[in-house]
Amino acid sequence: MSKELEKAGLTVAIVSAMFPVAEQVRAHRIVKGVSIPHPCGDPSLSPELDARLRREIVQTALKALETEVKEPTVFSPNMP
Amino acid sequence: MRLELADYPVTTIRLGRNFSYQSEVLEIDAAALSDMVLRDGRIREASFSVVRPGDKVRITGIRDVVEPRVKVSGNGQVFPGILAPVESVGDGRTNRLSGMAVIATAEYHGTIRAGLGVERSALLDMWGTGAAASKFSGLVHLVLVMRLREGLSELDAHTAIQLAELQVARRLAETTVGIEPACVEVFDLSARRPDLPNVILIQGCLTDDHHVHSGVSYYGLSIRESLATVVHPNELLDGAMAVNTTRGIGYSPIVYDWQNHPLALGLCRDHGKRFNFLGIILQRIRYETFHGKEVIAHNAAQLATTLGAEGALITWLGSGNAFVDVMLTLRACEQRGIESVLVTYEYGGKDGVDSPLLFYVEEANAVVSTGTRDRWLELPEAERIVGPYEQIQILSYPGAPIANCKEKLTLDAHDMVIGGVDNWGQESWICSAY
Repeated sequence: MSKELEKAGLTVAIVSAMFPVAEQVRAHRIVKGVSIPHPCGDPSLSPELDARLRREIVQTALKALETEVKEPTVFSPNMP
Repeated sequence: MRLELADYPVTTIRLGRNFSYQSEVLEIDAAALSDMVLRDGRIREASFSVVRPGDKVRITGIRDVVEPRVKVSGNGQVFPGILAPVESVGDGRTNRLSGMAVIATAEYHGTIRAGLGVERSALLDMWGTGAAASKFSGLVHLVLVMRLREGLSELDAHTAIQLAELQVARRLAETTVGIEPACVEVFDLSARRPDLPNVILIQGCLTDDHHVHSGVSYYGLSIRESLATVVHPNELLDGAMAVNTTRGIGYSPIVYDWQNHPLALGLCRDHGKRFNFLGIILQRIRYETFHGKEVIAHNAAQLATTLGAEGALITWLGSGNAFVDVMLTLRACEQRGIESVLVTYEYGGKDGVDSPLLFYVEEANAVVSTGTRDRWLELPEAERIVGPYEQIQILSYPGAPIANCKEKLTLDAHDMVIGGVDNWGQESWICSAY
């Protein structure tokens, strides 16, 4: 999906818990997600920590969108 | 651990008034078996049919398939933790009725409507293109057709179906007690030759740890998020492994597959000749974080190293992201100097041009394909339906169109045929184009 969107001219950051699979299909901007059922947060954390983590993941993704890349690049959010 | 597997081949099953086995003919008292099954109040109807290879019969509502076995000496009884107390099995003598199986079919609607926990059942054609897609078409079957009480939970339904099929199968096998077998095969890995390489089988198992039945059980206990462990192949022969019987799907090995695990059997038979077979590493896969996948890969490979493995056969059951765990395991083994071969089915899409596997590692340089699960399958019109369903949904999503089972069917993948996906390389396949 991220590759098709890029073909259409949109810059994409894909958040994925299976980041090596995203690398293999040569997605450009890959953000490490938490877990397959919940890539963008962690329901086992307290609501406050989860909110902080979710913000961190989104900010990492935004940073990835702003970054020039030539090949698949993995961006790692700071996870607790 | 030394197990004698005594073989009693069956070519004919007769529904009669007694239980007997003689000259490859099994006579059964179907009324007595129905009474036994109906003692469980969760089952409201139970009947039996015999089907043979070549019959223009389509079996519907398949939940599981089991080969009748009974232990006549040694510790414990077949299906420990389910039919019998948890006692170590794999020793002594076990009688088997070969060439036949009990197919458990059941009408059950389920309380879960979508997702991986939803009830599923499969088909089997005994003739034509459907038969060519499954090894089970080559066996004589006693089909147990059950209707369950309305409103049962998934766990209740599973327990009822499983107990019924396993009790029936054991009762059939008991007809062999005291009779001379056609042949006896001995399974004994105790002696090793120091001049031969040591080989291990790593069996990855996708399990859904959040479901009431995770999909695979060991001595009746669902395997959930656990580290890898070592089991003896003889335990498989005595029914240590079983499955969730509310979900009969072509790509999920069933009890018969575990009893007759082709890779385990092949390794046992060549033990002491081509290599020393060290045993089976049973590995839970489908960790939901990449960290989990890395750890289970390391864990299985570390266990293989500790056991002294020089070669590993790696195989799996499941689908989707669990394959990442499998590939990481292969890499972890290779990094420790263990030569590894992967045995897997392929995807490849309807036309065979899509990616055959979800994930690759460089170290996967020896892969055995057991064929695709993705191709279309056209099934001709059947003469007779055996099973609880006259109509089924071909696709499993809620609201999918209903088809008449007896008519010509077009399946979009082999998943709906029991045995339709050759998980562990039981069959011979030829690659026609590559």
